[in-house]
Amino acid sequence: MILSDSKVELVRRNNKVVYQDGNRLVKVFNERKPGSDVFNEALNDARVAEAGGRVPRVLEVSQIKDGEWEGSWALALKFIPGRTLEDLIAEDKGNLRGYMEQFAQLQIDIQTADAPLLNRQKDKLRRMINGCKAIDPSVRYDLQMRLDGLKGGTKVCHGDFVASNIIVPDDGSDPYVCDWAHVTAGVPEVDAAQTFLLLQVKHPERAQLYLDLYSRMSDTPRQLILHWVPVVAAAELARGRQAGEKYLWQQVESVFNDV
Amino acid sequence: MADQEQVIASVDDLNALIDRMRAAQVTFATYSQEQVDQIFYEAAMAANKARIPLAKMAVEETGMGVVEDKVIKNHYASEYIYNKYRNTKTCGVISEDPVAGIKQLAEPMGIVAAVIPTTNPTSTAIFKCLIALKTRNAIIISPHPRAKGCTIEAARLILEAAVAAGAPEGIIGWIDVPSLEMTNTLMRSADIILATGGPGMVTAAYSSGKPALGVGPGNTPVIIDDTADIRMAVNSIIHSKTFDNGMICASEQSVTVVGDEAYTQAKAEFERRGCYFLKGEELDKVRKTVIINGSVNARIVGQSAFRIAEIAGVEVPKSTKILIGEVESVDPSEEMAHEKLSPVLGMYKAVDFDDAIAKAERLVADGGYGHTSSLYIDLSQKEKMAKHAEAMKTCRILINTPSSQGGIGDLYNFQLAPSLTLGCGSWGGNSVSGNVGVMHLLNIKTVAERRENMLWYRVPEKVYFKKGCMPVALDELGTIMGKKRAFIVTDQFLYKSGFTKQIESKLDQMGIVHACFYDVEPDPTLQCAQRGVQQLAAFDPDTIIAVGGGSAMDAAKIMWLMYEHPEAKFEDMAMDFMDIRKRVYTFPQLGSKCYFVAIPTSSGTGSEVTPFAIITDAETGIKWPLADYALMPNMAIVDTNNMMSQPKGLTSASGVDVLTHSLEAYVSIMASDYTDSLALKAGSLVFKYLARAYDDPNDVEARDHMANASCLAGMAFANAFLGVNHSMAHKLGAFHHIPHGWANAVILTRVMRYNAAERPTKMGTFPQYEYPHAKARYAEFGRACGIQGATDDEVFENFIEAIEELKAHVGVKPTIKDFGVDEQYFLDTLDDMSEQAFNDQCTGANPRYPLISEIRELYLDAYYDREAKSYED
Repeated sequence: MILSDSKVELVRRNNKVVYQDGNRLVKVFNERKPGSDVFNEALNDARVAEAGGRVPRVLEVSQIKDGEWEGSWALALKFIPGRTLEDLIAEDKGNLRGYMEQFAQLQIDIQTADAPLLNRQKDKLRRMINGCKAIDPSVRYDLQMRLDGLKGGTKVCHGDFVASNIIVPDDGSDPYVCDWAHVTAGVPEVDAAQTFLLLQVKHPERAQLYLDLYSRMSDTPRQLILHWVPVVAAAELARGRQAGEKYLWQQVESVFNDV
Repeated sequence: MADQEQVIASVDDLNALIDRMRAAQVTFATYSQEQVDQIFYEAAMAANKARIPLAKMAVEETGMGVVEDKVIKNHYASEYIYNKYRNTKTCGVISEDPVAGIKQLAEPMGIVAAVIPTTNPTSTAIFKCLIALKTRNAIIISPHPRAKGCTIEAARLILEAAVAAGAPEGIIGWIDVPSLEMTNTLMRSADIILATGGPGMVTAAYSSGKPALGVGPGNTPVIIDDTADIRMAVNSIIHSKTFDNGMICASEQSVTVVGDEAYTQAKAEFERRGCYFLKGEELDKVRKTVIINGSVNARIVGQSAFRIAEIAGVEVPKSTKILIGEVESVDPSEEMAHEKLSPVLGMYKAVDFDDAIAKAERLVADGGYGHTSSLYIDLSQKEKMAKHAEAMKTCRILINTPSSQGGIGDLYNFQLAPSLTLGCGSWGGNSVSGNVGVMHLLNIKTVAERRENMLWYRVPEKVYFKKGCMPVALDELGTIMGKKRAFIVTDQFLYKSGFTKQIESKLDQMGIVHACFYDVEPDPTLQCAQRGVQQLAAFDPDTIIAVGGGSAMDAAKIMWLMYEHPEAKFEDMAMDFMDIRKRVYTFPQLGSKCYFVAIPTSSGTGSEVTPFAIITDAETGIKWPLADYALMPNMAIVDTNNMMSQPKGLTSASGVDVLTHSLEAYVSIMASDYTDSLALKAGSLVFKYLARAYDDPNDVEARDHMANASCLAGMAFANAFLGVNHSMAHKLGAFHHIPHGWANAVILTRVMRYNAAERPTKMGTFPQYEYPHAKARYAEFGRACGIQGATDDEVFENFIEAIEELKAHVGVKPTIKDFGVDEQYFLDTLDDMSEQAFNDQCTGANPRYPLISEIRELYLDAYYDREAKSYED
């Protein structure tokens, strides 16, 4: 892949830079990112699209030919002109409830699709918790026990469903959801628990509203969602999430899975 | 010191341990009850001795609970479990009833996988190790990592004592470094799982593919009724809720008090005894501390009330026993409605008892399905207690009992088995609903020897016979029994021909008033019987006298039944039985209003001494065959004077019917010495006298013996029942209107040949019927009738020939076709007839269990006069 000189940098994170390059959106990963991860993200995008999700179309996965990023893996997607839902909320706080309704409904719609070939949510969570040696082994055991009670689902669970991953197109068409690196086939309540947890950490004022809306709109009892909070909190710790670390630890250490 | 050969820290280690323990268990399985009891004793003693150090270790390691209370739990787990099972047989023959021929043998299951919780880490280990040893199982313990030190120590010292007492080395094992993977591997490798743990653990146990005894959490609601002894109730709850800082899964989680006054009293008593009622913001602080994300917070489990208050930022006296939150909602969104595993209690006020039950039901449904509920009440309130017991979906319902100590059994009720593994039934997703004990760890083999069931011989209490006996017998009604009102049931012919006159005049002589219903038709209908019952009820008799052939006697029996039990349903009474003693429907008993006298006027049906009657519903066409000893007449009067006027056709048809009755009763799978003698005599009388009675209707001697033959055969088949010959004849009568006796006779020799097969497709099912032997029985019967031959086969063939000759002599037509049955109609109805004959009540006693297709062939053979076949399979 060759990046044009007219590319515009949109976001820079510790392992990637995202450019708009004409009508392409290019995610360029640093040299430490394994190719398999990049292909996996492209595969996830394709699987979710095939399951009916509104995903920016994958155009290319290849290595950058020259320049600053030579040799790095890059993923090119169709660029969707629009704004993220996060931006819209920030600019129009008075309409928070309406945006959150749209947000929860979008997640529920995605979760209605079956995609059994995606990575398994339970396996992924198990791997992450097992790998997180910072958690006390006794606590980890209780977390594993609780996770063991999770029935393996086949619904599309985004795995990082936050407003900044939702693009509302300028042309007024339905929103797109991007960044499917963490998508799994699993149980919607767990996905909702993760979104709730991420909101608690970043936007605590939205968390309870989200939980109430999601619970009502999807007809899911709140306690079924909250049951998984310690498990997804452990996964966030395993992922190295630093924001809200204290809160995450509190959730993890509260777990008691015994009689 | 006994110990494992190596530290079990990986799945490979565990698999090796399981292999070693399998070998040890194979040896253990050979131990005698005495050896096992010695090991059980020493193991219980060792655990008991170590109860204090183990309790200290548990509290120190887990940071939960109260040493002194854990001492009690350890003491209980060793002493109470030993005491409960000290004399229980668990090896070899554990029960035997030589008379019934049944015994039970107990065998071990193999390897028990035992998951031990943090809340009771030593007592549950002691409990499970002891019941495993008592049952000759090996046990591998999977401790919780938070409590592995003390759990393993409990297992280790029991192992040491058991081995010292003679148990195989390594009969108890454990995982040193627990992980989910190891626990799951253990559960998949074991023979039985004893899982006490959280929902995830119990789910894992049941998903392992191995039999599991997994038990889960509770959410015990307590109701204090306004009739309860409030002081006793409150102090029992405090005693239970503070026990080991509330960590017993049966412990009270909420208390609901009925009515303002009781609530005020209860609150005052709680306060007086050192409980703290959370005020204002304190309640919310404790709520959010105790329950996080809808589950109990690990940090507060098994902590003291003071410590929990401290964590929540609430100031309470150090000696506080319980933190009580007065709340209203029983919805899961209310933290106080959850299981709290700590001395924190939710308190509700109920407007009345029903409201309290509704609250308790909801609390049970949201977290405690199947576990335990509790009620404090005055024991005179039976209705309320019953209502509560009905409503609670919990496997333990405790009355006036502290639930922690009460639920585990044998402390506050001595019939509730002591256990530290409490089943929650299917409500809790468990395979057991009671308290788990040694019986759950045994494979019970039942050795059942073949036995013959009791048989019977039942006949009317009085059977009077001899020519001219009727007036003498009837005399008894007046002179001895003092009867006042007799109702005669007969048919128009007999009535009009003056047949009933002599009975009526005898009754008049004795001053017995009488009435007569004389409208019984052949194949009597329900509608006819209903008309008769109307008259009968209006007359209100104390005696029914049935006079006539089978129809009159059957109709009279039905009227008797409808008169005494108008509520009985024919549909239920007519349901076929496999064994008359085991039938679903229980027949009402007859005789409370009327004495029943049967006087036959033909020599055939035997209805005067049988418990059978058939009636047809003319509106639906359904025939209701009723069979029960309730229908047995009380008195039968067999007077040859009543038989003298039988026309030739009736003499023939009823005569061959008697032969068929006696033959079928003799080869029936239920035939006994009692019925055999009657059947043989009846058969031989038919052979000797039927032809004479047929040829000369006025041959008194022949008529006399035929009357007796009919009654004797009736008594035989009233007890041994009949066979497929009658089943098939019933359908020939129903579909093609061939008179019953001839319908029997036209197929008789073919059915005999069919039954005589030495290699039948299937034989009848009855313990005394050991092998197919109908041919030998027919030969015996033949010899009794004077038939000769060198072998059974020869006698059988000669007997068949003699029967055919007799049939021909008395004018029985040789084939079904000869009775004027249209071929096409016969073929059109053949399948229905065959299936209905198969399903006839008479089929069950036949020595050969017929296939429908075989019945069909028999019909065809008898229709077309086909060459007799061997009818072997």
